[in-house]
Amino acid sequence: MSPPTQRLLIVSGKGGVGKSAVAAALAASAHRAGRSVLAIDVAGSGGLAAHFGIGSLAFAPRELRPGLHAMSIDRSKALIEYLQVQAGLPGILTLAPAARAFDALAGAAPGVREIVTLGKVLWETRSRRYDLVVADCLPTGQVTGLLRAPSTIAELVPTGRIRQQAEWMSDLLLDPVATQLVLVTLAEELPVVETEETLAYLLDEKLVGNHQIVANRVLPELRTAAAGSGEVAEAAALHRALYGEQQQWLERLPPDRTLPYLFGLLTPGEVAARLADSWAGP
Amino acid sequence: MTNSIVVTGAGGVGKTTVAAAVAVRSARAGKRTLVVTVDPARRLAGALGLELGSEPRQISGEPRLWGAMVDAASSWQAVARKHADPAVADRLIGSEFFLAASVHFPASQSYAAAEQAAGYMDEGSWDLVVVDTPPAAGGIEFFTAPSQMSDLVGGTLLRLLTGGRLPGRRFLFNRGAKPLLRFADQLLGSDLLERVAQFLMDLRTTYDGVRRRAEEIEGHFRRSFTVVVTTADPAPLAEAIRFFRELPSIASPPGLVVFNRSLPLRWATATPAPRTNLALAENLSRWGAEAQRQADAQAEFASHYQTPLATIPWVPQAPTDVDALANLIDLAENWIDLPG
Repeated sequence: MSPPTQRLLIVSGKGGVGKSAVAAALAASAHRAGRSVLAIDVAGSGGLAAHFGIGSLAFAPRELRPGLHAMSIDRSKALIEYLQVQAGLPGILTLAPAARAFDALAGAAPGVREIVTLGKVLWETRSRRYDLVVADCLPTGQVTGLLRAPSTIAELVPTGRIRQQAEWMSDLLLDPVATQLVLVTLAEELPVVETEETLAYLLDEKLVGNHQIVANRVLPELRTAAAGSGEVAEAAALHRALYGEQQQWLERLPPDRTLPYLFGLLTPGEVAARLADSWAGP
Repeated sequence: MTNSIVVTGAGGVGKTTVAAAVAVRSARAGKRTLVVTVDPARRLAGALGLELGSEPRQISGEPRLWGAMVDAASSWQAVARKHADPAVADRLIGSEFFLAASVHFPASQSYAAAEQAAGYMDEGSWDLVVVDTPPAAGGIEFFTAPSQMSDLVGGTLLRLLTGGRLPGRRFLFNRGAKPLLRFADQLLGSDLLERVAQFLMDLRTTYDGVRRRAEEIEGHFRRSFTVVVTTADPAPLAEAIRFFRELPSIASPPGLVVFNRSLPLRWATATPAPRTNLALAENLSRWGAEAQRQADAQAEFASHYQTPLATIPWVPQAPTDVDALANLIDLAENWIDLPG
């Protein structure tokens, strides 16, 4: 199966489920299929850079391979860019102090800080400089606040330029042809419950138009009834117990796609490459 | 005097389970023990008989064990009620910014948890309070939340808007901020600023109380014993290392590191008996590679940090009763006696 056809993939999941690895794999797999891609580390956690096999990413997009670009969102740089380019900051204000002051204001007025971050992702999508933008987003606990930002702004701010921007941002987020939310989970209790709750909230509040669920680190079935002895039997028993446990959670929240558990020592770059292989596979 | 143990680590490594296990063991050793947890897995909550938002309640069948669950939203309201005049507290809680701040300000859930846990330590009803930290991005923010909270309330923005003057009913804008404010009005629409400012002025009246409380909470952290839970996977391990780098400046440095979900290293070197089923032999070699990877990660960690390092074996099913929790620590290797 080929990767999703949308122009923007917003990747989220509970902390520790491997969402940066999946985001890097999605970017790599779309790039292999011939699309030009921008991958964005939204949380600035550095996880995405590691999965591309590099030390760090900067606010300025870097071309990793022809057609594959990556950047990370630095909040103060995004804010300065926003104030200059999108908001038309008047020349009378010197930039750094104004950005500092605006940042303080943004800290108190909910949605403003998020709209600057989300805005960067959406502007890059809207510019059509790339065929696909993959956003390695905040964990599920915070992504709802991010996706809600345009409607928060619309509720709190009756007029003003930021309000008009919130409207096209909402439209792009909700367009099922343009945007897909990719929720990464593990076949375990806490990630499954959190994914269900996040999804229910987002659908309920109409904050997402199109989504898919990806279950990561899914164990293969042990295709034998033999028991073995010694360590062979111990490893088989652990595997079967974990497999059975995982299958229960997969039944409760059937994923659109499963990605395999990767055994042994792999670098983050190798993990992303193997996941990209398995995405392109049968 | 109440001892305390703070159990922390990245999300998904099983720290709630470890915190509960530590508490059960302490209670069974004769100490009056309270475990304070945040949003545990339902099966674990079931094991302990806990319900969200509950006051400390005794765990049935365990005469010395109590459990409490932190409800961040209601604790946040309790903070406002405790530190503001009744009328101001009503206005704060009714404000659209209040709910948004409690949801969006990342430290607020952690602060509410820290404040509630510190309250139990002050109460003096227990010999030991075991605190499980919120499953936030890292866990380290649990320790920085009190000072972040007093910064928020201290009000960078408010100082900017009012030039530091404590406000009357109608606040005075700082002259230097005027061009910015005109611009912000254009961008955000008029009157949003005034509403924000009113909210911040109300919040500011809680500042002295919150700052004093934040200092007390930090005092508790410095006296607590910290247990860092991790797995051998790169992301949680990187988080664990942050605790060693950053914690000593805020709280007591970690006293024990627990590698959860550990596999026996002998799986890495075991050879299957002749004529072992091929699928089973392959399975052992896959898990053996995992065991080796874990051992390497632990050795690498131990070469940098001299803190005691215990391992808990990978148990496929999370404990579903108090006995299974107690048993978890019996299964551990290199466990040490914890204070309390």
